[in-house]
Amino acid sequence: MSGARIVAIMGKDLREFARNRFFVFITLLVLVAYVAIFWFLPDSVDETVHIGVSGTVLNTDVGGVTDGGTAGFALEVYPSEEELRAAVEEGRGDIVAGIAFPPDFLASVAAGEKPTVRLLIPAGLPAEVRLLLQGAVDEVAFSIAGSPPPVDPITEAIVLGTDRAGAQVSMQQQMRPLLLIMVLMVEVFALSSLVAIEVQERTAVAVLATPVRIVDFLAAKGIFGIILAFVEAALLGILIGAFAVNAPAVIVILLLGALIVTGFAMISGSYGKDFMGTLMISMLFMIPLMIPAFAALFPGSTPGWVKIIPTYGLVDAMIRITVDGAGWSDIAPALLMLAGWGLVAFGAGALVLRRRVATL
Amino acid sequence: MEIPRVGPNGSGMSVTIADNRDVTTSSDSPATLAIDVDDVRFAYGDTLAVDDVSFTVAPGQILGFLGPNGAGKSTTIKMLTGQLRPDTGKISILGMDMPGQREQIQGRLGVCFEEKNLYLSMTGSENLVFFAKLFGIQGFKPEPLMERVGLSTRLDDRVSEYSKGMRQRLMVARALLNTPDVLLLDEPTAALDPVSAIGVRDIIREEAARGAAVLLTTHDMHEADDLSDHVAFINQGKILTIDTPENLKLTHGTRSVRIRARHGADIEEEVIPLDEEGAEDRIRDAVSTEGLLTIHTEEATLEDIFVEYAGRGLT
Repeated sequence: MSGARIVAIMGKDLREFARNRFFVFITLLVLVAYVAIFWFLPDSVDETVHIGVSGTVLNTDVGGVTDGGTAGFALEVYPSEEELRAAVEEGRGDIVAGIAFPPDFLASVAAGEKPTVRLLIPAGLPAEVRLLLQGAVDEVAFSIAGSPPPVDPITEAIVLGTDRAGAQVSMQQQMRPLLLIMVLMVEVFALSSLVAIEVQERTAVAVLATPVRIVDFLAAKGIFGIILAFVEAALLGILIGAFAVNAPAVIVILLLGALIVTGFAMISGSYGKDFMGTLMISMLFMIPLMIPAFAALFPGSTPGWVKIIPTYGLVDAMIRITVDGAGWSDIAPALLMLAGWGLVAFGAGALVLRRRVATL
Repeated sequence: MEIPRVGPNGSGMSVTIADNRDVTTSSDSPATLAIDVDDVRFAYGDTLAVDDVSFTVAPGQILGFLGPNGAGKSTTIKMLTGQLRPDTGKISILGMDMPGQREQIQGRLGVCFEEKNLYLSMTGSENLVFFAKLFGIQGFKPEPLMERVGLSTRLDDRVSEYSKGMRQRLMVARALLNTPDVLLLDEPTAALDPVSAIGVRDIIREEAARGAAVLLTTHDMHEADDLSDHVAFINQGKILTIDTPENLKLTHGTRSVRIRARHGADIEEEVIPLDEEGAEDRIRDAVSTEGLLTIHTEEATLEDIFVEYAGRGLT
């Protein structure tokens, strides 16, 4: 291998990249947009469930549930059912649902009658929350009526895994791996386009008719791709605070992520016939590679097959570090998986590009 | 069929002809040959592209490689540049084995590809400087080369702004930047205007005069005739013949003179076979005629001879 020739090819690639206005524009746009998105996202989670209530019952004590949220519920009082209905429909004041007690609720209860309490529920509210609210109505009703519930078992909560009560993962923290993966994906397209141009314009043939060996050519493409993807991901990482905890581990994670996307970029660049073709082939890789990051947005819903996607290790390790403050030993399995996929993807990319160039 | 061949080294060479028998008349030792291709065969899957091709080119010689599209010219050049490895046979360039000593050979090789494979977003001079780095040339200055191909005023323009002809000239400049001992030129004057084509042909002659061995593929029979010391006809992967253009024309042409003269209101044409008795007197009489308009020799063109060998034209 010739270091001087590899550097020369990388320098040429950088010049081509910098002169492509589309690449530069997309790169800068992505960086600015993602940073803006990140900082606009809430950095904390409000664990209180806000419920609107209307009716004369509110003039009485409701058994501690109106204590401003320390028990997880916060009751927002509305003077009439109509206003409560409007508030629920418009989602005013973070209200997830409303409970409308009839004006004669207390009198009816005192008379031993069964008053009707209306539960005002937004269309998109999950069924589980509806049941929860129905239970809450019963609780409130019993409390107002001054009677204990029919059964009052002692409940002991056992949290499996990290207890996030009072310390939920914020939207910012959940989005961080997604943004980092997305910026890596953008570089898949940029790099694959550079490779595609080299193949389609057959400039690779001219390069390989000089003393440059195919291994020099592949090394130059690989190193340039890794640096390009890593630098942009690292830049974004700095701007969104990804290096605040265990920075060396984050660097390793991003380097391995860059290795993976460079491999896929070499594959898509080898077979892209034109701009749209390269884009389409890149998308084939980009969408599946982003799935683990989306899965991180919905904890607990990750199917098993997502864990075999190459970027899962990146998301897993990033969340463990930035959310749990994990150390090297905690993320070792994720790093090993990431490294394994990195070698496979890069090896496959180099092989495909080598074969493609050889047949030009 | 056995056809004696004269090689491009001036004295003779080995050529495998259609029935695969070798006719060897070479007197050059391999060490003095710049290009020595021996019984090379290459197939793309089931399609035989180059079929037992042999030829040599000595330093300072220009071999014109003539054939229609798909004849095997580009495949042969790809094997010479090391892009393709022959299925059988041996290629030696400057006494070194290709592809065994590919890196050493490529350092002394200049290639002008048929396709304009230049970096369009870079300037002409940046293209040359980049390739000079790949050749390991220190302190390379692109200006003299750019001037040589008539691009000195477009040094800092991006290649994307060049015309087709300018790109072609830059391709020629790139092929020369390492002062190569062997030049492989694939259609070097394609897309050039007549003046630029003359300039490139002059450069090719200068390079041969410097001692470079030149393998020139072209569709242009006049160019091949004008430039080549020897020409090889290739068709369907086989070399049909190799000889000097002059020998081919003498061997296959008609030794005759066509004379046109005006007699009153009519124009008369007379063909005088040179081998006939009294031809000299008839020509003298015709030349002394008052109404003489034109005299042309009737030698065959390379195109005619190619058709005779291949049973088809070059296009």
